[in-house]
Amino acid sequence: MMLQLVAVAFFGVAAVAFGIGVFRTRSMVRSALSLLGAMVAIGLMFLAMEAEFLGVLQLMMMASEMTIMAIFMMMYMMDPGGLSQMEMTHQKRTSVGAGIIGGAGALVLSFLTPWGRIVASAPAPGAQLHDLGIELMTRGMLIFETAGFTILVAMIAATLTAIVRQK
Amino acid sequence: MITLWVALAVGAALFAVGLYGALSQTNMVMIMMGVELMLGAAMVNLVAFWRFLHPEVYAGQMFVLIVMTVMALEAAVGFGVATARFRAKGSVEMEEATELRE
Repeated sequence: MMLQLVAVAFFGVAAVAFGIGVFRTRSMVRSALSLLGAMVAIGLMFLAMEAEFLGVLQLMMMASEMTIMAIFMMMYMMDPGGLSQMEMTHQKRTSVGAGIIGGAGALVLSFLTPWGRIVASAPAPGAQLHDLGIELMTRGMLIFETAGFTILVAMIAATLTAIVRQK
Repeated sequence: MITLWVALAVGAALFAVGLYGALSQTNMVMIMMGVELMLGAAMVNLVAFWRFLHPEVYAGQMFVLIVMTVMALEAAVGFGVATARFRAKGSVEMEEATELRE
């Protein structure tokens, strides 16, 4: 339990530090790599919280997603390396205020809510995978199918939005 | 209980950073990065709730899968819009997209 606490805290601090790093650099490539670091740290937090399947899924998905994001950033930026130190922020004070209020509100709520009894152990990884599969194929089937259909719609919508229209 | 609080505190901090990024950045891809961080914060909370409160109920893990789907969709549609915008105006700077208000 102690080891789990240390691991969750360590990877949590790493995730927040990488998250801050995303907006502290003017290089798009560094921003994308920082976000990749934050997502990897979140995946490692999942592993530390014994959600093995979700942890591995997060690591695999985010590694590919952030690589694609880095490529798009280099495509769309005049200065992807941030060499000209171009200013890319606005309404800074409002944003900092909103961030602090949002974060502090979530923090206060999480400490004030009576969460009830804490469960000491999670099911074994194999049992988790089996039970999650059963959940997805029974009670959560409609939600899962809706998610799949939504992905299909989004793929078509994104392609149609980005495609060059012939006159 | 302490591990749950630590996970929720990390979630709150990630949400705060993501909210700051989504509101303060002028580049569309950077705004998307802020949204991704906020969704990451939601996933951390969901996994913590599943692990420490109800590990026998898999609805928590299923919700994380749905949030991962939403992240992928947000990226796909966001990049589609960014591509269309870049083709039309040569830039994805939102400061220059004032005509979208009209």
